[in-house]
Amino acid sequence: MTALVVVLAVAVAVSAGVIATLVTRVRALESAARSTPAPVPAAAEDPTDGSLPRLVAALDALSLGVVVADADEVLGFQNRSAQAILSSRDARTIINRAVRELLVAAVRGEPGEREIDLFGPPKSTYLIRAVPLGNGVAVGGGSVAVIEDVTERRRTDQVRRDFVSNISHELKTPVGAVGLLAETLRDETDLATIRRFSERMSLEVARLSRTIDDLLELSRIEFADDLFIDETRVGDIVEDALGRFRAAADARGITLKSVGESGIVVAGDRRQITSALGNLIDNAVKYSPDGATVTVSARVNPSGLALSVADTGDGIPSRDLDRVFERFYRVDRARSRETGGTGLGLAIVRHVAHNHGGEVSVRSKEGQGSEFTLVLPLGTDVVEPESPVDDSEVSA
Amino acid sequence: MSDTDLRIEFHESLDELRDDIVRLGALTVETIGKGTAAMLDRDLHAAQALIDGDDVIDTLAISIEESCYRLLALQQPMARDLRFIVCALRFASELERSADLMVNICKASRRIYDVTMSPNVRSLIEDMSIEAASLTRKAIDSFIEADDGLASALDDIDDRLDELQVQFVESIFSSHDSDRLGLRSAVQLALIGRYYERIGDHAVNMGERVTFMVTGWLPEHAAVARLEMKSRRGSPDA
Repeated sequence: MTALVVVLAVAVAVSAGVIATLVTRVRALESAARSTPAPVPAAAEDPTDGSLPRLVAALDALSLGVVVADADEVLGFQNRSAQAILSSRDARTIINRAVRELLVAAVRGEPGEREIDLFGPPKSTYLIRAVPLGNGVAVGGGSVAVIEDVTERRRTDQVRRDFVSNISHELKTPVGAVGLLAETLRDETDLATIRRFSERMSLEVARLSRTIDDLLELSRIEFADDLFIDETRVGDIVEDALGRFRAAADARGITLKSVGESGIVVAGDRRQITSALGNLIDNAVKYSPDGATVTVSARVNPSGLALSVADTGDGIPSRDLDRVFERFYRVDRARSRETGGTGLGLAIVRHVAHNHGGEVSVRSKEGQGSEFTLVLPLGTDVVEPESPVDDSEVSA
Repeated sequence: MSDTDLRIEFHESLDELRDDIVRLGALTVETIGKGTAAMLDRDLHAAQALIDGDDVIDTLAISIEESCYRLLALQQPMARDLRFIVCALRFASELERSADLMVNICKASRRIYDVTMSPNVRSLIEDMSIEAASLTRKAIDSFIEADDGLASALDDIDDRLDELQVQFVESIFSSHDSDRLGLRSAVQLALIGRYYERIGDHAVNMGERVTFMVTGWLPEHAAVARLEMKSRRGSPDA
């Protein structure tokens, strides 16, 4: 980035230091060319032998915004990206002031940078850097500012930071607890206390074991070479996945309901799809209130087979929606530990979707439940004629 | 300086005034979203940053006000230009008040820092915030585009925010009745709902001013006409 700023500064400096004048002249020539029946070639009037229009075109082609101020601190040239940002009527208009302030400071010999977070929507982050153009005769002072949309880069940084922090937490917490409990047990003679502590150790070990199992599962799924694509009736997959959670749902009076077209054939790795659907059902059961209903539906849409799992639980805050598929990301850390989740379930679902060339999405609102939809490719065979929509409940 | 130069300078000043209103509006709308996120995330640093950042909004609002007075005094504008400047003057004040209400929300969010809000209460806060930001943005758009259709629709659009506030208060009562929310916190939350609702009212006020800017008519003119009629009839209310 710094190198780019320097290159731009040099490029602008090389253009004889009268960029604003020349740009005006080029645009006047272009205007004249449009209005005159027999246009004079711009290069004939261009003291830079045609290189200036090329430079302007190159700057216009950049996705970075470039703004130049002259020695009198007056803003002159703006490339197309800068114009789009600075003339907008949305939140980006806030950037204007920062660009102006940084350019003026840079004209006075103080390079600077500022990062601005905009809530939007959409949420975005812009980095503005300004450097002086020097006081040589050719340049005549001035400054240049570069505006860069760093939203995606900052998001990636955040994901990476959170992942390192979360994986440390997930692995170190149970290990630390087991170590401490073992140390306490060494000098303990009271049998009731020993029993209580050892039960707690078992719980922590079970938690760690679940995390390691899910990590291994995720690793297997990420390594897509062993994908076994076959055509399977979706009703069988749904039944299989629901069966794994019937006992847990029964214990809390939660109804597991299956609706849609059970005769659809899906092309994919049955084990992986069952695992993905199982994770979605597991979450729905965990985060539903006692006595609620979890609905699994299978329908055909233009993209393929849409397998949806809907619950009426607490829902997910909107700001967390685009992060729930990250490994170890927790919407509510305390609640997740209570329910025994590993934080890897939705990451597994996402990888399964990608392995099959499909996608997973979520619709949710706090207080109103969630609906996760896994879209997978349809098979070519039809195992049996598609049954009509079956809204009957499948008892848990 | 020739008359033409003076006119050009005057119209450039009006353009700058319009840009400043857009900037003030953008800052205010940003504050609504960020303030709400700070409250829901219990982010005290973000809340404090917004409280501190209100000085920027106040400074810009005062600067707009001074520009308006300068233009009124030096250029003696007439007709639509005059109404534009008067409208900008009102916008600066309404937007500054909306930002102040978000400061109130940030301060209230510190008082309810340790309160666990139900998902429904949180969801309604988010919905009110989105509506309040959307209304404010629409008010600014109607000003920039001189769109009296959009401006006069703001009153009806605001009904959604009013309805959300009613639901919010009911949700607070429900949480309070089930002992999940103490009285102090319930009062703080009710105030927060009221602040969002007031931001909507400010947007409606801005819309009325845009209608005035475009048509020269204000809803209040109807009330004035009624009063005059009563006065002519010798009504005791007049």
